[in-house]
Amino acid sequence: MKKGFALIAVVLVGLMLVAGCSRDKEPAEAALKAAEAAVSAAKAEAAKYVPDQVKGVEDALKAAKDAFEKKEYTQALNAAKDLPAKAKELASAAAAKKAELTKSWEEMAGGLPKMVEAIKSRVDILSKSKKLPANLDKAKFEGAKSGLAEITQTWTDAGNAFKGGNIADAVAKANAVKAKAAEIMTTLGMQAPAAAKPS
Amino acid sequence: MAEEKAGGDAWDSTQWHVVQKGESLWKISEQYYGDGSLYKKIFEANQDILSDPNLIKVGQKLRIP
Repeated sequence: MKKGFALIAVVLVGLMLVAGCSRDKEPAEAALKAAEAAVSAAKAEAAKYVPDQVKGVEDALKAAKDAFEKKEYTQALNAAKDLPAKAKELASAAAAKKAELTKSWEEMAGGLPKMVEAIKSRVDILSKSKKLPANLDKAKFEGAKSGLAEITQTWTDAGNAFKGGNIADAVAKANAVKAKAAEIMTTLGMQAPAAAKPS
Repeated sequence: MAEEKAGGDAWDSTQWHVVQKGESLWKISEQYYGDGSLYKKIFEANQDILSDPNLIKVGQKLRIP
């Protein structure tokens, strides 16, 4: 008799668990759809500016989907319900990073051409010199000339990257131009501007 | 004597030289370019303050292109 009651209790508990889980199926499905839409909307821009954070949100979405596939609806619901807010945070982080990079680009776009122009002017004059100044031998001067050609090209590439909407790449290239231009100026016995000195 | 510009535009890449006693444009040109005969480049870059390449004053700040 006791065994019979125990069996019924086990079956009832099992049925309650199944019913509880099934009850969460629709909300979980809706939460997953909302999460997918939110992540999808934020992803493209975020991937450009905060790729590390995108991975975390994508992993969370995948975990929610996996739980749903395994019919673990309550778990799927819990995993998915916070994702729209996380996607919003992702979009905010991407916007903040984009603003920071744009500011950095604008500063360098205003300043780097002055450095490149100063180097070009000095290289043009030194190319006409019958003898190089002290502390500048022919090899160093040739290195500076090829460096000038290199930064001129990289600066053009940076401008194209910015025009193409790839601000992170544009800023990376501009930083490379800044470092190389400062190095060339030092080689030529020139003072690099304050903004180009290592902090 | 080379001088760094203080304040103002942090990207200003103008190169300056403060004239010392006994210096001439020829001598300054030799210092920066290795060739005194290029002194005209410095004269041309400073025509707002120089009217004669043979007349420079101690303490004058010259642009070195």
